[in-house]
Amino acid sequence: MSLQTPVAVSGIGCLCGAGSNLGACLDTLFHGRRQPAPPARFSSSHPTAYPVFEIPPEVSLFGTGQKPQLSRTARLVLTATREALGNSGWDRQWPHNKRIGVCIGTTVGSTMNDEGFYRKYRRGDQPCINPIETYLNSNPAQAIAREFDLSGPCQTVVNACSSGTDAIGLGAGWIRSGICDAVIAGGADELCRVTYDGFISLMITDDSPCKPFDATRKGLNLGEGAAILILESQATLRARNHPARAFVRGYGSACDAYHLTAPDPQGQGLRRAIAEALATSGQTPAAVAFVNAHGTGTRDNDRIESRVLSALLPDVPFFSTKGCTGHTLAAAGAIEAAFTVAFLEAQKIPPSAGFTDPDPDLPASPAKRTIGVSGQIAFSQSLAFGGNNAVIVFGKGDT
Amino acid sequence: MTTNEKLKIIIIQELNLEEITPEEIDDEAPLFGEGLGLDSLDAVELVVQIQKHFGVEIKDMEEGRLAFRSINTLGGFIEERRAA
Amino acid sequence: MRIALRGVGVVGGFGCGVDDLRRTLIAGRCSPQTASVAGTEGAGEMPVFLADTSRLAAFIPNRALRRVDHFSRLAALGACLALEDARLPPTVRQALGLVIATGYGATRTTFSFLDTVLDHGDACASPTFFSNSVSNAAAAHVSILLKITGPSLTVSQFEMSVPAALLTACQWLEEKRVEGVLVGGVDEYCAVLGYSWQRFFGPGPTTGTRPLEWGRQSAIAGEGAAFFLLCRDEGDPPDYGFITDIRQGHLRHGGLDLAADALLLLGADGHQACARRYARHLPADARVATYTPLYGSLPVGPAFDMAVAALSIKAGRIFAPPPGAGENPGLKIVPRHARLDATPIRCLKFGREGEYAMVTLSGRGSI
Repeated sequence: MSLQTPVAVSGIGCLCGAGSNLGACLDTLFHGRRQPAPPARFSSSHPTAYPVFEIPPEVSLFGTGQKPQLSRTARLVLTATREALGNSGWDRQWPHNKRIGVCIGTTVGSTMNDEGFYRKYRRGDQPCINPIETYLNSNPAQAIAREFDLSGPCQTVVNACSSGTDAIGLGAGWIRSGICDAVIAGGADELCRVTYDGFISLMITDDSPCKPFDATRKGLNLGEGAAILILESQATLRARNHPARAFVRGYGSACDAYHLTAPDPQGQGLRRAIAEALATSGQTPAAVAFVNAHGTGTRDNDRIESRVLSALLPDVPFFSTKGCTGHTLAAAGAIEAAFTVAFLEAQKIPPSAGFTDPDPDLPASPAKRTIGVSGQIAFSQSLAFGGNNAVIVFGKGDT
Repeated sequence: MTTNEKLKIIIIQELNLEEITPEEIDDEAPLFGEGLGLDSLDAVELVVQIQKHFGVEIKDMEEGRLAFRSINTLGGFIEERRAA
Repeated sequence: MRIALRGVGVVGGFGCGVDDLRRTLIAGRCSPQTASVAGTEGAGEMPVFLADTSRLAAFIPNRALRRVDHFSRLAALGACLALEDARLPPTVRQALGLVIATGYGATRTTFSFLDTVLDHGDACASPTFFSNSVSNAAAAHVSILLKITGPSLTVSQFEMSVPAALLTACQWLEEKRVEGVLVGGVDEYCAVLGYSWQRFFGPGPTTGTRPLEWGRQSAIAGEGAAFFLLCRDEGDPPDYGFITDIRQGHLRHGGLDLAADALLLLGADGHQACARRYARHLPADARVATYTPLYGSLPVGPAFDMAVAALSIKAGRIFAPPPGAGENPGLKIVPRHARLDATPIRCLKFGREGEYAMVTLSGRGSI
């Protein structure tokens, strides 16, 4: 198979502050509903309460009460996997003869930063090592392989905020090269005080609901969540007579090599990633129906995306969904890939929540209301800390 | 020790500029860009260090940009806030 | 699969660079340092193979390193050494991809960040520590310091991190996304790891690691980085040979399918829980070697195993395992001065849950 062989998406699972499954999230997005609130699961001594998009406690996560040694991030990714497998029709008869890989992005899910443990350790209290056990048990890709009894290639991608997009791009590559028949790909991250304090310390967090691409934007709101796409070879899908919801048509990624936290002012890495994504899809800019932008709501990110998109994909509508989900870090690329597939199916894109006033400094702005779209392919892009840029291309499915 | 002198030591230690001495930092020279050559990550680190060492809060980068022009402007900003 | 291995860069308890590693392999021994840990009964000490990054100054100006922590310095030094070893002109670097594997990430800085919060409150959280604690910080630093602008990836899944990283690196080359990939593993020691280590495994061994004595818990923690420059099989044959296979799997779906007389470089590193898997799944006539007593136990140990395999191919012989590796009459341990024929070297690693990975290196003569 060549780089251009499309890889099918046969099922999707997704949960975040916008909803506990993909359908609920879409409803929230198209209605532009959002209710970020100060974090409920941890406290902080910041004089200002920065709002976040948390998953409410009533949402039932995988293994709650039964598997105490799994982190919240692992539970989130397993919850999304359960939904995606159900959606793909694989939940009834798992094919043991198939080579099934797992490729998952995370940041918090691969970090040992248990605060309670460390607080006791610092005091010399000899803390018990259960939090370490939980950390060792909760590597997201390994947790999925263990819970769903898989033994194919297994990879946890920790590329910060582009991890989810990268995981899907890399997983699709495993199918194209023939080392897997199917791949469970996506991303997950939980909210925690470490990332909350970290992003506030970088002074890129908004103390009100975030306003991606708006003239008055002040920064991002954090969120949490997970999304999974079941990727399959077309041969596997045909053999079980299941429709493809969409196809992965291309993927590109490149590094700015510019600065630890600031994006390249000209968006050089993003330009190269978009160019590679377009080249691997074998399509022209005219075929692009829309772009799901990273659109975090920070001054720098939104300016660079607007400039690069208006230069490389002029007149292609774009938007950010982070006004309804918050920035879910490594889950963001996966959640937005799930949304991108759903918008392609629906042939419409939602209003860019939080956007009202165009920024005169930006050459292009997102839509304020739901608009219909046509075109064979759609992009979802992620820009990350460390200068990573990743772009995934989806094409319309069988339905 | 004057506020300016204290600031220079904090900048050298907390921003890991060990190869320069406090005497080498010109009170009037720009901290960012040319001059000391600090960048956006240093700016937010400096905000935290000023909170920690002087108890003075810099709310956003609009405020920071004015204060961060030189050691003199930053020292003046801190003293003004502490007097208020 | 046939991916050329054109450069090796290593830093660990044994020293810095392939010459130091080769000398240590020939000498057959390496002594760990001593690190103090907050033990279960007050402050104690444990042996650790610590790595020194001072040679990085030969490659990168000091000023450019002011925000680069120990973890990223290890990665940058491994990367610089691999590029130097490959004699790659700096202009080619733009066409490279970068893949970094780590088991635990930048743990020292992760805890330093928590220190700033616990000492002075949430509002005094350090953005510099936060940025350096993010999992791909080392990849960010390496790409900035070496001007590598191709695709960049960091993977993290404990003992399986390195094989997973190699899988993607080789994939990128086969897809022709890049002309070369700089791929490596890095892990660092920190005091919290030392504490946890003692809680899990008790006080360190008094006699050094004996990884081939399956029943004994004798692991000694290590830190360091091992990097490789990989290219497609084009141009001159590479001194270090080729990666010809990468296999990942899990024992839950059956054992390994190995030739009875396979040549196996074992990632056994003195952990009793993993050792029993080697004991059970090695073919009876397999010739085995292990070198972990020279660099210790760390999640990215398989990168060091692979570096030794590469040096063996270049030397045309298999280094004798360190005499301290242990006695095990049930094993065919590679003898001293063994010539390496066309047999591929299979680097085998078992993880803690029964997952395994095998990276195969083959010399020029082998198919």
